[in-house]
Amino acid sequence: MADQNKEPGILQDLFNTFFKKHWPVWVGGVTLGLLNILLFAVKSPWGASGGINNWGENVFKIFGISSFENATPTSASLYGVLCLLIVLGSFAGALFSKEFALRIPPKGELVKGFIGGGLMAIGATLGLGCTIGSFFSGVPALSGGAIIFTIGLFAGTIVALKYLLWEMEKFPGFSTGKSFTFLAASEEKGKWQIWLGWIVSIGTFILAFRVAGTNGVLAWFIISGLLMGLICQRSRFCIVKAFRDPFMTGESDGSVGVMAGLLITLVGFTAIKYFGIGVGESSLRAREMTWIFGHFWLRGLLGGFIFGLGMTVAGGCAVGTLWRVGEGQVKLWMSALGFLLISPISKHYIVPAINNALPHTMKFKNYLPDYFGYGGAFLIVLFVILIWYVFVKWNERTGKFSAF
Amino acid sequence: MEIKETLDCKGLSCPMPMMKLAKAIKGLGTGDILEMLGTDPGTKSDLPKWCEKTGNKIVEESEIEGGVFRYLIEKK
Repeated sequence: MADQNKEPGILQDLFNTFFKKHWPVWVGGVTLGLLNILLFAVKSPWGASGGINNWGENVFKIFGISSFENATPTSASLYGVLCLLIVLGSFAGALFSKEFALRIPPKGELVKGFIGGGLMAIGATLGLGCTIGSFFSGVPALSGGAIIFTIGLFAGTIVALKYLLWEMEKFPGFSTGKSFTFLAASEEKGKWQIWLGWIVSIGTFILAFRVAGTNGVLAWFIISGLLMGLICQRSRFCIVKAFRDPFMTGESDGSVGVMAGLLITLVGFTAIKYFGIGVGESSLRAREMTWIFGHFWLRGLLGGFIFGLGMTVAGGCAVGTLWRVGEGQVKLWMSALGFLLISPISKHYIVPAINNALPHTMKFKNYLPDYFGYGGAFLIVLFVILIWYVFVKWNERTGKFSAF
Repeated sequence: MEIKETLDCKGLSCPMPMMKLAKAIKGLGTGDILEMLGTDPGTKSDLPKWCEKTGNKIVEESEIEGGVFRYLIEKK
């Protein structure tokens, strides 16, 4: 085995830098934040639940359900394509690092995956966005509703975590039992995964190149989706983890990684909105109001809460579900299925009923700069991130709010 | 080295492996060895960080057939 002692070549060394070990979460946060800024500069910010809803509408369309016959084909939906490419990017990342395997958990976990996905669908359609659109993009877009949605997310996460701890205590059989793993690689075996990773990546670039001639923006979304999926998989970028872990094991790495992304995105989004970068055919006001949804405040709060419940039970938010689908986690396949099947039903039939029951007012504006100016709004969001940072770091030291 | 308890987390994804691990370690005495089996790549990042924070020690780490990894952890 003299080969094992041989120093790797320069390119092999570079490859190992990316695919031998996981990246720090903050590296994922910063790079995802930069790609998000570029998505906004080119068209509009990152979102995930809308794309999954598009998949669901197309599934119903295939089954001939009349309410969905006008659904936009996924190939023409920027966010439907972005979501597909996040799955593919994560698949490529998992293959390059030989971490891909079909991992089938015990039955109870599959049920939790589906229910979690369904709850996320209801939360996202009610709150007009998920942890990406209404949090990771929404908060830096200076949306007041996004901050309210985030408070709901926190509450939902804490309640669902209490449920998981209770379930583990009272019904441990739910998460134990027969499980299966297929197609796994090891240190010596499974070189096919790396080759397939190259095929997937090169194939995607060829596709983007072909699309670029007729639809440059779609080509940009294809490349961004591939990179975002790969970055998420390599850095284990997980928004559920950011919200949940301080209350579970007390870890703060996941939270700090997400904060790093929020901070970068905040700077970029504020600049785009303030200077009206990429105004194009839309007015400056339309550019400012991008990703500012009409979910202030009960709609956002309730939507965030339900979404928080769902993502914690499933073990992945909308994007966390997508990249874990690409890595072969079958529990999250069930979550994606629950999300895409329930989302169109919720959007068309459940949300209108809830929305009618909620009190409405035109008293509040949802765009923070309308009240505080750009400087004030920027500082408010910065302050919220700082408070969160101090809390998770203090909690990590003291364990005051951790379950273990 | 005597293994006090084996925790099977094969097929489980985040957060179940870390939740089960934290609970299992809580039930052991100082110096006891816990064997953990798992398949979630996330655990490979989370577990060493958690051990570093809590003072529990990874005494052995290996990959066994079929994508399963194995950790032996000594309780602090």
